[in-house]
Amino acid sequence: MRAKTLLLALLILAGCASTPKPVDPPRLKAALEAESDGAKRHGRGDHAAAARRFDEAARIFASIDDTPGAARNRRHLARAELAQGRAEAALLALELAERGGESGAALDTLLLKAQAQLALGRNDAAQQSLATAGGLCANACPQAASLHLLRAHAALAGKRAPEALTHAEAALKLLQDQDEAVETGNAWRLIAAARLASGDATTALPAAHAALNIDRRLALPEKIGRDWLLIGDIQKKVGAGETAANAYRRALDVAKAAGLADIARLATQALSK
Amino acid sequence: MSLLTQHDSDTDALRRGTRRFLLFAALATLALLAAIVVRQGMFRQTTNYSFVANSAQDIVKGQAVKIAGFRVGSVAAVSLKDNGQVVVTMEIDADHMRFVTHDARVELRKDGLVGSATLEIVPGPDKTRLAAAEARLAFSRADGLAALANQVRDEFIPILKDVKLITGALADPQKGLPGTLAQVRASSEALNALLANGNRQVDGIGRAATRVLGKAEEDLGRLGQTLETANKRLPGLIDRTQQVIDHVEKIAAEAETSVPPALRDGGAAAADVREIVSGAKQAWPIRNLVDAPAPVTLKVDSDPRGEAGRAR
Repeated sequence: MRAKTLLLALLILAGCASTPKPVDPPRLKAALEAESDGAKRHGRGDHAAAARRFDEAARIFASIDDTPGAARNRRHLARAELAQGRAEAALLALELAERGGESGAALDTLLLKAQAQLALGRNDAAQQSLATAGGLCANACPQAASLHLLRAHAALAGKRAPEALTHAEAALKLLQDQDEAVETGNAWRLIAAARLASGDATTALPAAHAALNIDRRLALPEKIGRDWLLIGDIQKKVGAGETAANAYRRALDVAKAAGLADIARLATQALSK
Repeated sequence: MSLLTQHDSDTDALRRGTRRFLLFAALATLALLAAIVVRQGMFRQTTNYSFVANSAQDIVKGQAVKIAGFRVGSVAAVSLKDNGQVVVTMEIDADHMRFVTHDARVELRKDGLVGSATLEIVPGPDKTRLAAAEARLAFSRADGLAALANQVRDEFIPILKDVKLITGALADPQKGLPGTLAQVRASSEALNALLANGNRQVDGIGRAATRVLGKAEEDLGRLGQTLETANKRLPGLIDRTQQVIDHVEKIAAEAETSVPPALRDGGAAAADVREIVSGAKQAWPIRNLVDAPAPVTLKVDSDPRGEAGRAR
């Protein structure tokens, strides 16, 4: 008891004696708090709330003429919008971020832009964005693996399966020994899809299961659902009709439980064929 | 001889003085006795009244009896009857009998909350008839501290029960706040499902329209015979589309009126909490302990919705 009292007294004395810390201006603090709160919500998968907070942070940063802060939060906003499947909104946010003209983040902006364009089916525009990004990266940047994955995605969308496989495998190699589980899962999924598209369904199956294992560990319903759809497609290709139906049912269950309408629709369609 | 004569006259004078003193003392004593007797009311004309009480608590012999705050008599006797009740007899000055109506009642009151008890005769509303001598009056006790406490308790208990009911109702998982929130959530989910259903129906209509148009094109190639068929089908499809849109609009309108208030309340509460936390963070010495968060970097995810793997 005496020791606690003594400690408390010392703390009070120290508090009184210490030099007051410089306090951030309230608006800057509010912006940083909104950004931090948005990041927490994004991490929890609450992308709608995260988008609102990033938008708020971007507006506060813009109001105090902090262009890098505003651009950074618009990129965060674009990520949150992409996670909700709102690629148009993401492109709009990225357009505003580009106006900030922050050269250090140009590569990130381009990669996000390519993602949005791919999601909207604008493959040519995506190729162009990726080409510009490739010029900025030159295989030595920290985003090289993501760049490869997006190139693989674009190649797959353009029915160039061998090219997609090359990029996906290159990405997987770069991701080894890195703490990038999400991107590793994406790489395995792309490898599986590229192999399936190349007609190599047998080797596609373990890759799809590898992706599923990672996504299960990360507890990402959207990706788990799509992994099951992919596994169903592969099983169907190898002629295992009943196993394929089981995979589609698993996808449907996950989609229903997580409220994922798109995946539920795709799974139902696959089951009805 | 003259000396003897002088002595007799002095003795007479002394006797006379002594006699006068004794007479004065006797008269003074008598006057004092008369005063005491008068004061004690020995010659006063009084009338007796009585009342019956359940208990003799705070009632004693000699206790003052008042009318409108003036003392008019006293308690003459307090006796216990065979049935356990207490009979109290009061002696009231005859002069004050005119105030004691036949419907008068006796109240046992206390001066203040904890003062001495007095009996007060409260005349009744009917002033035309006076109480007869030896009449038995009604009796009641004014509320004391215990009665007040009981009254307060009686008033409070229902309020506390109401508070308990309200808090119980709020905490009720079915009908209370959690239930309401669950209903809002369920409504939102149902709305999502309905919207998804609507989307599917619209999609279905779109596909059906495409098929119809395709068929119409073929038929146009065959001298436009099926143009008529298309004309017949399209209005139905448009009607159906309109019905779906009406349905969705109706749901949206209902949601607009029912969901926002609850969401506003929740939002307001969240904003309050955020404001409180923000205020606390800015207060000394907490502001010295809490740093503003640093700019964040989000984890890279090149395929946030897992769409890249779907080779279709």
